[in-house]
Amino acid sequence: MSESESKKLSETGSLLLEIGNLLMCSGASTARVRMTINRISDALGYSTDLFITHRALMLTISDANHEQFLSSLKRVAPHGANFKVISGISRMSWRIVEDHWSLEQIRKEIERLRTVPHYSRTIVLLVVGLAGAGFCRLFGGTYIEMMVTFVASFIGLLVRQEATAKHFNQYLCVFFAAFVASFIAGSFKKFGLNMELEHAFATSVLFLVPGIPLINTFSDVIDGNILNGVIRGVHGLMVAVAISLGMLTTILIYHF
Amino acid sequence: MNWFELIEKCFWFGIAALGFAVLFNVPPRTLLNVFLIAATGCLCRLLFMHDGMNIILATFIGACLIGLLSILAAHKNATAPFILSIPAVIPMVPGVFIYRLILGLVRIAEYSSGNYPPQLLSDTVNYGLKSFFILGAIAMGVAFPMMISRKETAKNFLVSKRKKLPAKI
Repeated sequence: MSESESKKLSETGSLLLEIGNLLMCSGASTARVRMTINRISDALGYSTDLFITHRALMLTISDANHEQFLSSLKRVAPHGANFKVISGISRMSWRIVEDHWSLEQIRKEIERLRTVPHYSRTIVLLVVGLAGAGFCRLFGGTYIEMMVTFVASFIGLLVRQEATAKHFNQYLCVFFAAFVASFIAGSFKKFGLNMELEHAFATSVLFLVPGIPLINTFSDVIDGNILNGVIRGVHGLMVAVAISLGMLTTILIYHF
Repeated sequence: MNWFELIEKCFWFGIAALGFAVLFNVPPRTLLNVFLIAATGCLCRLLFMHDGMNIILATFIGACLIGLLSILAAHKNATAPFILSIPAVIPMVPGVFIYRLILGLVRIAEYSSGNYPPQLLSDTVNYGLKSFFILGAIAMGVAFPMMISRKETAKNFLVSKRKKLPAKI
Protein backbone atom coordinates (compact mmCIF):
# COMPACT_ATOMS: atom_id res chain seq x y z
CA MET A 1 0.00 0.00 0.00
CA SER A 2 1.60 3.19 -1.13
CA GLU A 3 1.63 6.41 0.81
CA SER A 4 -0.57 8.29 -1.65
CA GLU A 5 -3.26 5.62 -1.63
CA SER A 6 -3.59 5.66 2.12
CA LYS A 7 -3.73 9.43 2.05
CA LYS A 8 -6.50 9.25 -0.53
CA LEU A 9 -8.39 6.79 1.66
CA SER A 10 -8.35 9.05 4.68
CA GLU A 11 -9.26 12.06 2.56
CA THR A 12 -12.26 10.21 1.13
CA GLY A 13 -13.28 9.16 4.62
CA SER A 14 -13.32 12.70 5.92
CA LEU A 15 -15.20 13.97 2.85
CA LEU A 16 -17.86 11.29 3.28
CA LEU A 17 -18.25 12.18 6.93
CA GLU A 18 -18.63 15.84 6.03
CA ILE A 19 -21.34 14.95 3.49
CA GLY A 20 -23.13 12.88 6.13
CA ASN A 21 -22.85 15.72 8.61
CA LEU A 22 -24.34 18.20 6.14
CA LEU A 23 -27.21 15.85 5.34
CA MET A 24 -28.00 15.08 8.98
CA CYS A 25 -28.01 18.68 10.11
CA SER A 26 -30.12 19.81 7.15
CA GLY A 27 -33.00 17.46 7.95
CA ALA A 28 -32.47 14.27 5.91
CA SER A 29 -33.75 10.94 7.17
CA THR A 30 -31.34 8.23 8.32
CA ALA A 31 -31.95 5.97 5.33
CA ARG A 32 -31.23 8.86 3.00
CA VAL A 33 -27.88 9.63 4.66
CA ARG A 34 -26.80 6.01 4.46
CA MET A 35 -27.94 5.64 0.86
CA THR A 36 -26.17 8.79 -0.32
CA ILE A 37 -22.89 7.94 1.39
CA ASN A 38 -22.93 4.38 0.07
CA ARG A 39 -23.68 5.60 -3.43
CA ILE A 40 -20.77 8.01 -3.39
CA SER A 41 -18.30 5.58 -1.85
CA ASP A 42 -19.28 2.84 -4.32
CA ALA A 43 -18.68 5.25 -7.18
CA LEU A 44 -15.25 6.09 -5.78
CA GLY A 45 -14.40 2.38 -5.45
CA TYR A 46 -14.47 1.98 -1.67
CA SER A 47 -16.73 0.01 0.61
CA THR A 48 -18.19 1.87 3.55
CA ASP A 49 -20.11 1.00 6.69
CA LEU A 50 -21.88 3.66 8.67
CA PHE A 51 -23.21 3.98 12.17
CA ILE A 52 -25.64 6.88 12.31
CA THR A 53 -26.93 8.45 15.48
CA HIS A 54 -28.69 11.73 16.05
CA ARG A 55 -25.61 13.75 16.95
CA ALA A 56 -22.64 11.66 15.74
CA LEU A 57 -21.60 9.66 12.69
CA MET A 58 -19.16 6.78 12.67
CA LEU A 59 -17.69 5.48 9.46
CA THR A 60 -15.38 2.66 8.46
CA ILE A 61 -14.04 2.84 4.95
CA SER A 62 -11.88 0.24 3.23
CA ASP A 63 -10.46 -0.15 -0.24
CA ALA A 64 -11.64 -2.77 -2.72
CA ASN A 65 -9.14 -5.45 -1.61
CA HIS A 66 -9.70 -4.79 2.10
CA GLU A 67 -5.97 -4.21 2.51
CA GLN A 68 -6.41 -1.02 4.40
CA PHE A 69 -9.21 0.54 6.34
CA LEU A 70 -9.95 3.67 8.29
CA SER A 71 -12.46 4.34 11.04
CA SER A 72 -13.43 7.77 12.16
CA LEU A 73 -16.09 9.57 14.10
CA LYS A 74 -17.64 12.96 13.53
CA ARG A 75 -19.93 15.03 15.66
CA VAL A 76 -23.03 16.27 13.81
CA ALA A 77 -23.72 19.99 13.90
CA PRO A 78 -26.98 21.12 15.55
CA HIS A 79 -29.99 20.14 13.48
CA GLY A 80 -31.81 22.66 11.36
CA ALA A 81 -33.63 22.68 8.07
CA ASN A 82 -31.88 23.44 4.82
CA PHE A 83 -33.32 21.57 1.87
CA LYS A 84 -31.12 23.39 -0.63
CA VAL A 85 -28.14 21.51 0.78
CA ILE A 86 -29.91 18.15 0.59
CA SER A 87 -30.99 18.81 -2.96
CA GLY A 88 -27.47 19.86 -3.90
CA ILE A 89 -25.89 16.78 -2.35
CA SER A 90 -28.41 14.54 -4.06
CA ARG A 91 -27.50 16.03 -7.44
CA MET A 92 -23.80 15.87 -6.64
CA SER A 93 -24.01 12.17 -5.74
CA TRP A 94 -25.43 11.34 -9.15
CA ARG A 95 -22.82 13.42 -10.89
CA ILE A 96 -20.11 11.59 -8.97
CA VAL A 97 -21.56 8.29 -10.20
CA GLU A 98 -22.04 9.36 -13.79
CA ASP A 99 -19.30 11.91 -14.48
CA HIS A 100 -16.64 10.33 -12.22
CA TRP A 101 -15.80 13.45 -10.26
CA SER A 102 -12.44 13.72 -8.56
CA LEU A 103 -12.01 14.32 -4.84
CA GLU A 104 -11.01 17.89 -5.57
CA GLN A 105 -14.27 18.58 -7.40
CA ILE A 106 -16.27 17.01 -4.58
CA ARG A 107 -14.51 19.16 -2.01
CA LYS A 108 -15.21 22.32 -4.00
CA GLU A 109 -18.88 21.41 -4.34
CA ILE A 110 -19.15 20.76 -0.58
CA GLU A 111 -17.56 24.14 0.11
CA ARG A 112 -20.12 25.76 -2.18
CA LEU A 113 -23.02 23.93 -0.51
CA ARG A 114 -21.86 24.90 2.95
CA THR A 115 -22.24 28.58 2.10
CA VAL A 116 -25.39 28.23 0.03
CA PRO A 117 -27.55 31.34 0.59
CA HIS A 118 -30.77 31.41 2.59
CA TYR A 119 -33.77 33.42 1.54
CA SER A 120 -33.45 36.99 2.78
CA ARG A 121 -34.79 37.59 6.24
CA THR A 122 -37.54 40.00 5.16
CA ILE A 123 -38.89 37.52 2.64
CA VAL A 124 -38.90 34.69 5.18
CA LEU A 125 -40.73 36.82 7.74
CA LEU A 126 -43.32 38.05 5.25
CA VAL A 127 -44.00 34.64 3.72
CA VAL A 128 -44.24 32.93 7.11
CA GLY A 129 -46.63 35.67 8.26
CA LEU A 130 -48.73 35.06 5.17
CA ALA A 131 -48.58 31.33 5.86
CA GLY A 132 -49.98 32.02 9.33
CA ALA A 133 -52.80 33.99 7.76
CA GLY A 134 -53.40 31.10 5.38
CA PHE A 135 -53.58 28.65 8.27
CA CYS A 136 -56.12 30.86 9.95
CA ARG A 137 -58.28 30.94 6.83
CA LEU A 138 -58.04 27.14 6.47
CA PHE A 139 -59.51 26.61 9.91
CA GLY A 140 -62.33 29.00 9.17
CA GLY A 141 -61.06 32.34 10.46
CA THR A 142 -62.33 35.69 9.22
CA TYR A 143 -60.23 38.27 7.36
CA ILE A 144 -59.66 40.27 10.53
CA GLU A 145 -58.37 37.15 12.28
CA MET A 146 -56.08 36.55 9.33
CA MET A 147 -54.52 39.96 9.80
CA VAL A 148 -54.07 39.31 13.52
CA THR A 149 -52.37 35.98 12.73
CA PHE A 150 -50.10 37.64 10.17
CA VAL A 151 -48.81 40.11 12.74
CA ALA A 152 -48.48 37.45 15.45
CA SER A 153 -46.59 34.97 13.22
CA PHE A 154 -44.35 37.71 11.89
CA ILE A 155 -43.27 38.87 15.33
CA GLY A 156 -43.14 35.32 16.69
CA LEU A 157 -40.68 34.23 14.03
CA LEU A 158 -38.65 37.38 14.59
CA VAL A 159 -38.39 36.48 18.29
CA ARG A 160 -37.35 32.94 17.44
CA GLN A 161 -34.62 34.13 15.08
CA GLU A 162 -33.30 36.61 17.60
CA ALA A 163 -33.33 34.03 20.40
CA THR A 164 -31.53 31.50 18.19
CA ALA A 165 -28.91 34.12 17.31
CA LYS A 166 -28.32 34.67 21.02
CA HIS A 167 -27.70 30.91 21.48
CA PHE A 168 -30.55 30.15 23.82
CA ASN A 169 -31.53 26.53 24.27
CA GLN A 170 -33.49 25.50 21.18
CA TYR A 171 -36.62 24.50 23.10
CA LEU A 172 -36.49 27.77 24.99
CA CYS A 173 -36.38 29.61 21.64
CA VAL A 174 -39.55 27.81 20.61
CA PHE A 175 -41.14 28.63 23.94
CA PHE A 176 -40.33 32.33 23.58
CA ALA A 177 -41.69 32.41 20.04
CA ALA A 178 -44.89 30.57 20.97
CA PHE A 179 -45.42 32.80 23.97
CA VAL A 180 -44.91 36.06 22.07
CA ALA A 181 -47.00 34.97 19.08
CA SER A 182 -49.96 33.86 21.16
CA PHE A 183 -49.59 36.85 23.50
CA ILE A 184 -49.87 39.23 20.55
CA ALA A 185 -52.80 37.32 19.06
CA GLY A 186 -54.51 37.36 22.45
CA SER A 187 -53.79 41.05 23.05
CA PHE A 188 -55.98 41.99 20.08
CA LYS A 189 -58.89 40.33 21.84
CA LYS A 190 -58.02 41.66 25.26
CA PHE A 191 -57.42 45.27 24.37
CA GLY A 192 -58.91 45.98 20.96
CA LEU A 193 -61.36 43.91 19.01
CA ASN A 194 -64.34 42.78 20.97
CA MET A 195 -64.84 39.54 19.06
CA GLU A 196 -64.06 35.84 19.05
CA LEU A 197 -60.43 35.29 18.03
CA GLU A 198 -60.04 31.60 18.80
CA HIS A 199 -58.81 30.73 15.30
CA ALA A 200 -56.24 33.50 15.29
CA PHE A 201 -55.00 32.46 18.73
CA ALA A 202 -54.74 28.78 17.82
CA THR A 203 -53.06 29.26 14.45
CA SER A 204 -50.61 32.01 15.40
CA VAL A 205 -48.10 29.41 16.70
CA LEU A 206 -48.44 26.92 13.87
CA PHE A 207 -45.30 28.11 12.07
CA LEU A 208 -43.40 26.38 14.90
CA VAL A 209 -44.78 22.86 14.35
CA PRO A 210 -41.97 20.27 14.19
CA GLY A 211 -42.87 19.01 10.73
CA ILE A 212 -39.52 17.53 9.72
CA PRO A 213 -39.14 15.51 12.96
CA LEU A 214 -42.74 14.29 12.60
CA ILE A 215 -42.24 12.90 9.11
CA ASN A 216 -38.67 11.73 9.63
CA THR A 217 -39.75 9.85 12.76
CA PHE A 218 -42.21 7.87 10.76
CA SER A 219 -39.89 7.17 7.84
CA ASP A 220 -37.01 6.20 10.17
CA VAL A 221 -39.17 3.75 12.12
CA ILE A 222 -40.59 2.28 8.92
CA ASP A 223 -37.11 1.85 7.46
CA GLY A 224 -35.95 -0.01 10.56
CA ASN A 225 -33.83 2.77 12.05
CA ILE A 226 -36.01 2.56 15.12
CA LEU A 227 -33.63 4.10 17.61
CA ASN A 228 -33.08 7.18 15.44
CA GLY A 229 -36.80 7.41 14.85
CA VAL A 230 -37.51 7.37 18.57
CA ILE A 231 -34.90 10.06 19.18
CA ARG A 232 -36.42 12.29 16.51
CA GLY A 233 -39.85 11.61 17.94
CA VAL A 234 -38.80 12.69 21.41
CA HIS A 235 -37.24 15.83 19.96
CA GLY A 236 -40.47 16.62 18.08
CA LEU A 237 -42.46 15.98 21.24
CA MET A 238 -40.25 18.39 23.20
CA VAL A 239 -40.83 21.09 20.59
CA ALA A 240 -44.57 20.46 20.83
CA VAL A 241 -44.39 20.70 24.62
CA ALA A 242 -42.49 23.99 24.32
CA ILE A 243 -45.16 25.37 22.00
CA SER A 244 -47.98 24.38 24.32
CA LEU A 245 -46.16 25.78 27.34
CA GLY A 246 -45.83 29.10 25.53
CA MET A 247 -49.53 29.12 24.74
CA LEU A 248 -50.41 28.05 28.28
CA THR A 249 -48.48 30.96 29.71
CA THR A 250 -50.56 33.33 27.60
CA ILE A 251 -53.79 31.56 28.55
CA LEU A 252 -52.91 31.93 32.22
CA ILE A 253 -52.06 35.61 31.84
CA TYR A 254 -55.21 36.49 29.93
CA HIS A 255 -57.57 34.06 31.70
CA PHE A 256 -59.06 32.74 28.47
CA MET B 1 -70.65 23.42 -1.91
CA ASN B 2 -69.39 26.91 -2.42
CA TRP B 3 -66.79 26.65 -5.15
CA PHE B 4 -65.27 30.04 -4.50
CA GLU B 5 -64.65 29.15 -0.88
CA LEU B 6 -63.16 25.81 -1.90
CA ILE B 7 -60.69 27.37 -4.32
CA GLU B 8 -59.85 30.10 -1.82
CA LYS B 9 -59.05 27.52 0.86
CA CYS B 10 -56.80 25.63 -1.55
CA PHE B 11 -55.04 28.88 -2.37
CA TRP B 12 -54.36 29.66 1.29
CA PHE B 13 -53.26 26.09 1.89
CA GLY B 14 -50.72 26.56 -0.89
CA ILE B 15 -49.54 29.82 0.69
CA ALA B 16 -49.11 28.07 4.05
CA ALA B 17 -47.05 25.38 2.30
CA LEU B 18 -44.93 28.11 0.68
CA GLY B 19 -44.25 29.55 4.13
CA PHE B 20 -42.80 26.27 5.28
CA ALA B 21 -40.92 25.85 2.01
CA VAL B 22 -39.21 29.20 2.55
CA LEU B 23 -38.56 28.37 6.21
CA PHE B 24 -36.90 25.09 5.17
CA ASN B 25 -34.93 26.86 2.45
CA VAL B 26 -36.00 24.74 -0.51
CA PRO B 27 -34.39 25.58 -3.86
CA PRO B 28 -36.28 28.48 -5.52
CA ARG B 29 -36.98 26.46 -8.67
CA THR B 30 -39.23 24.10 -6.67
CA LEU B 31 -41.40 26.79 -5.02
CA LEU B 32 -44.09 26.80 -7.71
CA ASN B 33 -44.36 23.02 -7.61
CA VAL B 34 -44.67 23.02 -3.81
CA PHE B 35 -47.56 25.47 -4.12
CA LEU B 36 -49.34 23.46 -6.82
CA ILE B 37 -48.84 20.09 -5.13
CA ALA B 38 -50.09 21.42 -1.81
CA ALA B 39 -53.15 23.05 -3.37
CA THR B 40 -54.03 19.84 -5.23
CA GLY B 41 -53.69 17.76 -2.07
CA CYS B 42 -55.91 20.20 -0.20
CA LEU B 43 -58.53 20.12 -2.96
CA CYS B 44 -58.59 16.32 -2.82
CA ARG B 45 -58.94 16.34 0.96
CA LEU B 46 -61.71 18.95 0.97
CA LEU B 47 -63.68 17.18 -1.75
CA PHE B 48 -63.57 13.89 0.12
CA MET B 49 -64.59 15.63 3.33
CA HIS B 50 -67.43 17.34 1.51
CA ASP B 51 -68.51 13.92 0.35
CA GLY B 52 -68.97 12.97 3.98
CA MET B 53 -65.73 11.15 4.53
CA ASN B 54 -64.07 11.12 7.93
CA ILE B 55 -61.41 13.84 8.28
CA ILE B 56 -58.74 11.28 9.19
CA LEU B 57 -59.21 9.17 6.09
CA ALA B 58 -59.56 12.26 3.91
CA THR B 59 -56.26 13.58 5.29
CA PHE B 60 -54.62 10.25 4.56
CA ILE B 61 -55.79 10.32 0.95
CA GLY B 62 -54.78 13.95 0.52
CA ALA B 63 -51.32 13.25 1.95
CA CYS B 64 -50.99 10.21 -0.34
CA LEU B 65 -51.78 12.37 -3.34
CA ILE B 66 -49.16 14.90 -2.22
CA GLY B 67 -46.58 12.12 -1.85
CA LEU B 68 -47.40 10.74 -5.30
CA LEU B 69 -47.31 14.12 -7.03
CA SER B 70 -44.02 15.01 -5.39
CA ILE B 71 -42.43 11.80 -6.67
CA LEU B 72 -43.53 12.71 -10.18
CA ALA B 73 -42.45 16.33 -9.87
CA ALA B 74 -39.09 15.45 -8.30
CA HIS B 75 -37.93 14.00 -11.61
CA LYS B 76 -38.58 17.27 -13.38
CA ASN B 77 -37.18 19.46 -10.64
CA ALA B 78 -33.93 17.58 -10.01
CA THR B 79 -34.48 17.16 -6.28
CA ALA B 80 -35.55 14.46 -3.86
CA PRO B 81 -39.32 13.86 -3.48
CA PHE B 82 -39.45 14.64 0.24
CA ILE B 83 -38.12 18.15 -0.39
CA LEU B 84 -41.41 18.86 -2.15
CA SER B 85 -43.70 16.75 0.01
CA ILE B 86 -42.71 17.84 3.54
CA PRO B 87 -43.56 21.55 3.11
CA ALA B 88 -46.69 20.60 1.18
CA VAL B 89 -48.24 18.37 3.86
CA ILE B 90 -47.42 20.36 6.98
CA PRO B 91 -50.41 22.72 6.59
CA MET B 92 -52.64 19.67 7.16
CA VAL B 93 -51.56 19.69 10.82
CA PRO B 94 -54.77 20.00 12.90
CA GLY B 95 -53.82 23.19 14.71
CA VAL B 96 -57.20 24.13 16.14
CA PHE B 97 -57.90 20.60 17.41
CA ILE B 98 -54.55 20.54 19.21
CA TYR B 99 -55.28 23.96 20.71
CA ARG B 100 -58.68 22.78 21.99
CA LEU B 101 -57.03 19.64 23.37
CA ILE B 102 -54.52 21.69 25.35
CA LEU B 103 -57.22 24.06 26.58
CA GLY B 104 -59.42 21.15 27.60
CA LEU B 105 -56.60 19.44 29.47
CA VAL B 106 -55.89 22.64 31.38
CA ARG B 107 -59.55 23.06 32.28
CA ILE B 108 -59.78 19.45 33.48
CA ALA B 109 -56.64 19.85 35.55
CA GLU B 110 -58.03 22.97 37.19
CA TYR B 111 -60.82 21.06 38.94
CA SER B 112 -59.76 20.15 42.45
CA SER B 113 -61.69 16.87 42.53
CA GLY B 114 -63.06 14.68 39.75
CA ASN B 115 -66.37 16.54 39.39
CA TYR B 116 -65.67 18.16 36.01
CA PRO B 117 -68.50 18.05 33.51
CA PRO B 118 -68.52 14.86 31.41
CA GLN B 119 -68.98 16.96 28.27
CA LEU B 120 -65.61 18.60 28.85
CA LEU B 121 -63.86 15.26 29.23
CA SER B 122 -65.45 13.70 26.16
CA ASP B 123 -64.74 16.77 24.02
CA THR B 124 -61.11 16.80 25.10
CA VAL B 125 -60.66 13.09 24.42
CA ASN B 126 -62.32 13.51 21.04
CA TYR B 127 -60.02 16.38 20.01
CA GLY B 128 -56.97 14.55 21.31
CA LEU B 129 -57.70 11.34 19.42
CA LYS B 130 -58.51 13.26 16.25
CA SER B 131 -55.25 15.24 16.42
CA PHE B 132 -53.24 12.08 17.06
CA PHE B 133 -54.73 10.14 14.20
CA ILE B 134 -54.57 13.05 11.78
CA LEU B 135 -50.87 13.50 12.54
CA GLY B 136 -50.37 9.76 11.96
CA ALA B 137 -52.32 9.93 8.71
CA ILE B 138 -50.14 12.79 7.49
CA ALA B 139 -46.87 10.97 8.19
CA MET B 140 -48.14 7.67 6.83
CA GLY B 141 -49.81 9.14 3.77
CA VAL B 142 -46.70 10.95 2.62
CA ALA B 143 -44.49 7.89 3.01
CA PHE B 144 -46.99 5.51 1.44
CA PRO B 145 -46.34 6.23 -2.28
CA MET B 146 -42.59 5.87 -1.75
CA MET B 147 -43.10 2.50 -0.06
CA ILE B 148 -45.43 1.28 -2.79
CA SER B 149 -43.14 2.34 -5.61
CA ARG B 150 -40.30 0.58 -3.75
CA LYS B 151 -37.81 3.19 -4.82
CA GLU B 152 -35.59 4.55 -2.12
CA THR B 153 -34.70 7.44 -4.33
CA ALA B 154 -36.10 8.80 -7.54
CA LYS B 155 -33.95 6.25 -9.34
CA ASN B 156 -34.92 7.25 -12.86
CA PHE B 157 -33.73 10.64 -11.87
CA LEU B 158 -30.81 10.84 -14.26
CA VAL B 159 -28.88 14.05 -14.01
CA SER B 160 -27.13 13.53 -17.34
CA LYS B 161 -30.43 13.60 -19.23
CA ARG B 162 -31.33 17.01 -17.95
CA LYS B 163 -29.68 20.26 -18.80
CA LYS B 164 -26.16 20.50 -17.46
CA LEU B 165 -25.35 22.38 -14.32
CA PRO B 166 -23.26 25.53 -14.71
CA ALA B 167 -19.68 24.56 -15.32
CA LYS B 168 -18.19 26.38 -12.34
CA ILE B 169 -19.47 24.08 -9.57
